[in-house]
Amino acid sequence: MNHPTAETFHENARVALADEQLRGALRNATSLFGERRLSAARSLNNWEGLRSQAREIKDKVLLNLDTYLEQFVCQAEARGARVHWARDAHEANEVICRLANERRARVVVKSKSMTTEEIHLNDSLEAAGLQVIETDLGEYIIQLAGEAPSHIIVPAIHKTKKQIAELFTARLGIQPTDDVAKLTSTARTILRDRFAAADVGVSGVNFGIAETGTICILENEGNIRLTTSLPSLHIAVMGIEKLLPRFADLDVFLKLLPRSGTGQRLTTYQSLITGTKRRPGDEGPDELHIVLLDNGRSRMLAHPVTRQSLACIRCGACLNACPVYQQIGGHAYGSVYPGPIGAVITPQLSGLARTSQLPYASSLCGACREVCPVKIDIPRLLLHLRSEITQSHERGSDAKGIRSKAERIAFRLWTTVMTRPWLYGMSASVARAMQRLIVRQGRIGKLSKSAARFVPQLGAWTAERDLRPLDTISFRQHWRSELRKAR
Amino acid sequence: MNHGEANRQARQTILRSIRDHLAASTATDTIYNEIKLNDHVAWSGDESGAKATNTYSLVDLFRESLEAVDGHCIVVESEAEAVQALRGIISDLRETPLRARRIALSDAPLVQQLVSQLDLDFEDVSVVKDAGHMFSYDVGITSAQKAIAETGTLVLDSNSERHRLASLLPPVHIAIIDASQICLTLGEALAHIHQDDGELSATITFITGPSRTADIELTLAIGVHGPQRLYVIVNL
Repeated sequence: MNHPTAETFHENARVALADEQLRGALRNATSLFGERRLSAARSLNNWEGLRSQAREIKDKVLLNLDTYLEQFVCQAEARGARVHWARDAHEANEVICRLANERRARVVVKSKSMTTEEIHLNDSLEAAGLQVIETDLGEYIIQLAGEAPSHIIVPAIHKTKKQIAELFTARLGIQPTDDVAKLTSTARTILRDRFAAADVGVSGVNFGIAETGTICILENEGNIRLTTSLPSLHIAVMGIEKLLPRFADLDVFLKLLPRSGTGQRLTTYQSLITGTKRRPGDEGPDELHIVLLDNGRSRMLAHPVTRQSLACIRCGACLNACPVYQQIGGHAYGSVYPGPIGAVITPQLSGLARTSQLPYASSLCGACREVCPVKIDIPRLLLHLRSEITQSHERGSDAKGIRSKAERIAFRLWTTVMTRPWLYGMSASVARAMQRLIVRQGRIGKLSKSAARFVPQLGAWTAERDLRPLDTISFRQHWRSELRKAR
Repeated sequence: MNHGEANRQARQTILRSIRDHLAASTATDTIYNEIKLNDHVAWSGDESGAKATNTYSLVDLFRESLEAVDGHCIVVESEAEAVQALRGIISDLRETPLRARRIALSDAPLVQQLVSQLDLDFEDVSVVKDAGHMFSYDVGITSAQKAIAETGTLVLDSNSERHRLASLLPPVHIAIIDASQICLTLGEALAHIHQDDGELSATITFITGPSRTADIELTLAIGVHGPQRLYVIVNL
């Protein structure tokens, strides 16, 4: 299956924009989640306070990350868990495959985890000869289809039930149906069988508690409980930034995460797992292994602006709020993490060279910052990354900068004009006179080919949308005449 | 190089990388100094919009919250009534494809005691020891260690009761709790679970309603992997 990459973001976006079905699905999903998030946030009278509190807790964790990690590891291992440190995706995959192979495992059940997507764990496990089954319904659907998730919370948001029914008919041999309950129960039956056969359960982690060595995982379906209860080996893959200092801190984050993600007060299940079972006859796996993944995260600590990317709790609220994501969906970003948070995390994780279009996939409107439960200033991060791209371009590195010579001249001209009021006034008068050539019915529509060639920037803008012309009277003229009237 | 050595090396590299990068940030960092000084992060108590308890009982709030997430709540005033409620639920289930003939029990004495008073025919009523066998049961009956009124949540503690799979694998989960186990907020429940000197259980599970998904066209489907019905009997 050919997945689009971040390098071709503009083409990906154009393809997505032409896909009416996708855009309809995105419209439904993002507006529904947006409304639910808002009403869930309003059900608490201290939402803003909670956000600040959450951010404070996360800042504290990140600034003392080494200490909290060591505390977490010490506590988890004291209760029977084994912890593995992985500097990168390769090391993480190697550990997980080795653990599975050492136990002669054949079937691995997985619950939804962005971190395992990030390291492409499934490919490694399959290459090691294991059968890997995604058990979250949405992930299962896209695994059957050989696709990638397009939304953090609803991975198969881009597919209609008709497409899913066809997929199930083709791959699972069921009678065609468009009944969602039937499709769901089909998946339940098939996955139950896999759960019964599974030797290894692989999960992600939402929060790790330094104080107690606990991992906390949230879900609605119950597949995470099955994944972490039935197989004799449970492997939890966790980014090093997922820690909270104290058990009581969960109070803040369990209020914020479900409300921001799906608009629920709580998701159906929270599993709080602290070490292995205490008595041999107890229910649950015999072994718990936690894989701590760096994979570029510690680098982000080096600057307060980039560091805040590590506060992210993967709720997906910024995706739903983003006017760019709302139109193009997750696949166009060509990266595991889509949307505004993806546009800042991906370039930092995998380098700017092949992801330099992503920080520009934003109008900097600030909606993402407004909804972020941990107050990440994503627009600021986007600007930070843009400036890095520009600088590396000027240094002649291979990252594709966008500051062409013409653009630099244009900005110098702009500075000259904007810092001299008389010149500004004069230029505005000229522009006002000139625009008469292209204003039609009070707006500047698509330019003719020759005009577009004459002013290419304006041509590019008006190719997709109208431009509002300058008012016929300038603000300063207004001001003067109003003052005169007042006298 | 053996795996233990490789793990130690990875650990050292990661911790060093964290320390170096944090050190690099101090020059430009205003938050850094604030937080380092203010070691204990400010903590405001729970101020959620839950209704005041004096005008609104915890049980009523629990029921309302549970019903809002498609769970069923039956409030009873005695053990005899609890048995009756249990019989009612099972008899009703027998009118549906859910059968309710094979019943998996947790090892809580209360559960055993109530179930022993049911005068109904079953194919099987037992505490299931083997996880593999649990797949064939129709109903799981358990207790819970705590409940949260403002969210309609059950809190299951794996060290206190064997109910991890009985509450998960059968299509129906019935939980029997005492009204005194209900607390108002999530924060209270967390504080109760983790007292200062106490050890945490291996697994604590919060359950809020039946299993659900909206992964296909955002259409709600109940009972995808976990139970499709959740009944909670609250004994006053």
